[in-house]
Amino acid sequence: MRDKQCTAEEVAAELRDGMTLGIGGWGSRRKPMALVRAILRSPVKNLRVVSYGGPDVGLLCAAGKVRELVFGFVTLDSIPYDPLFRKAREQEGLAVREWDEGMFYAGLQAAAQRLPFLPIRAGLGSDVPRNDPALRTVRSPYGDGEELLAVPALELDVALVHLNRADKHGNARYLGPDPYFDDLFCLAAKKRFVSCERLVSTAELAEGAPQTLLCNRTMVDGVVEIPRGAHFTSCAPDYGRDEKFQRAYADAPQNGLLSRLVSGSEQDYQAVVQEVS
Amino acid sequence: MAMLLRLDEAIAELVGDGDVVALEGFTHLIPVAAGHEIIRARRRDLTLCRMTPDIVYDQLIGAGCARKLVFSWGGNPGVGSLHRFRDAVQHDWPVPLEIEEHSHAGMANRYVAGASGLPFAVLRGYLGTDLPAQTPNIKTIECPFTGERLAAVPALNPDVGIVHAQRADRAGNVQLWGITGVQKETVLASARSLVTVEEIVDELEPVPGAIVLPGWAVTAVAHVPGGSHPSYAQGYSERDNTAYQQWDPIGRDRERFTEWLRASVFEEAGA
Repeated sequence: MRDKQCTAEEVAAELRDGMTLGIGGWGSRRKPMALVRAILRSPVKNLRVVSYGGPDVGLLCAAGKVRELVFGFVTLDSIPYDPLFRKAREQEGLAVREWDEGMFYAGLQAAAQRLPFLPIRAGLGSDVPRNDPALRTVRSPYGDGEELLAVPALELDVALVHLNRADKHGNARYLGPDPYFDDLFCLAAKKRFVSCERLVSTAELAEGAPQTLLCNRTMVDGVVEIPRGAHFTSCAPDYGRDEKFQRAYADAPQNGLLSRLVSGSEQDYQAVVQEVS
Repeated sequence: MAMLLRLDEAIAELVGDGDVVALEGFTHLIPVAAGHEIIRARRRDLTLCRMTPDIVYDQLIGAGCARKLVFSWGGNPGVGSLHRFRDAVQHDWPVPLEIEEHSHAGMANRYVAGASGLPFAVLRGYLGTDLPAQTPNIKTIECPFTGERLAAVPALNPDVGIVHAQRADRAGNVQLWGITGVQKETVLASARSLVTVEEIVDELEPVPGAIVLPGWAVTAVAHVPGGSHPSYAQGYSERDNTAYQQWDPIGRDRERFTEWLRASVFEEAGA
């Protein structure tokens, strides 16, 4: 079996201008933040980002990397709205497709099943379709004739997820309370990269409940071992969210940290962690 | 909370003449004992649904319980044809049987749509086959974004869904594991449901890969150890391959079948 270990820089180098990038995790939880920082430092631009958004979205927007965002929400959990995303959204130039979370799920599911769309009732009767005129409806071809919302497949060029443990072949396990939709992001993408807290042998990875083996090697193209790779988002049970750092992140537009967080080196970032946390 | 009933009470209460009934379980956990109870209860004009009708459906059809079969494959796995099914289609014996044939993926998608409360499902399937010409409810739907033509199948929402599982607790929460097929979707798609179980326990210990059907999603649970024989229940029993082989000569012959019904189903009542 292939050894798929690589570096964060190699993952970022897989991205091309204009690509659709899916990012796993949920809000400010188990986000592949070290991989996101590698993208901040890379020359790539005009990304279409698909995320149940947290500070991954805020940072990429603040760095001017995002042309279009498809999202169900962008939140820091303990801070309801990401201020960096707010700033980007209030400016011209960021195209948004703000969907209901169930629609977002259906879009990933359609891509994972290699279908161009899936029908769903979520979103109907709301302003979501009015604010996203590219959405369409489909009519049931049966006697009920019901009209349903058609959610286009969210086909991803690249998916990034962060998990607690992985082996070098791309099998990976979560240890926290929630898988989020990381497996679905991988199934919906052409190239899939997992960062992990700790790289372990396949034998060690296999110990424990089988249902927490979220990703298997057929769904993963590259593995990067990055301890604290989700910092400052949570990565239960390895660590919780770094709330002090998150506060400093949210205040970054005012406290002078913004440029160090958005365009600094990895050493700059780690220095800020030392100063703040 | 699901009712805990005896199997005969559950079938009497849940299954009526003319109902659409699905007994699911793919090679594993097939609710055979519940099928036999439907025969004993002499239900008639049922529309029987099942992805893979095998010998329990051969028996139900031969006993005259069914008016229609909705399915995607029929046979005695590893042995051969279903001769009671064949006799009903070819010779209307003991009663005529209408058939509605789908693909496996189509049937699975129909249960998923039914469980999801959607009127239909979309899939890449049926293309290049004669099934749409034989089965009028296989339709096409156009993707409103790409213009691509895809297959559509209508949601399947049985009146009664019946499955077999390893265990339940006293509140009727059900736990099953191993090959779990479309059992969850069948129960969630059905107006009423019955789960026969190997064991009723005080507490459901977690099992890797298990599905839990909460008691509020299940109408009734019946304690029927061995209720999936001659199929198997992982962790409880092995598949009885000999029984499948022995079915072939019985199913081939109307007289032998009628004798089998009398001795093995009707005289088993109350056993």
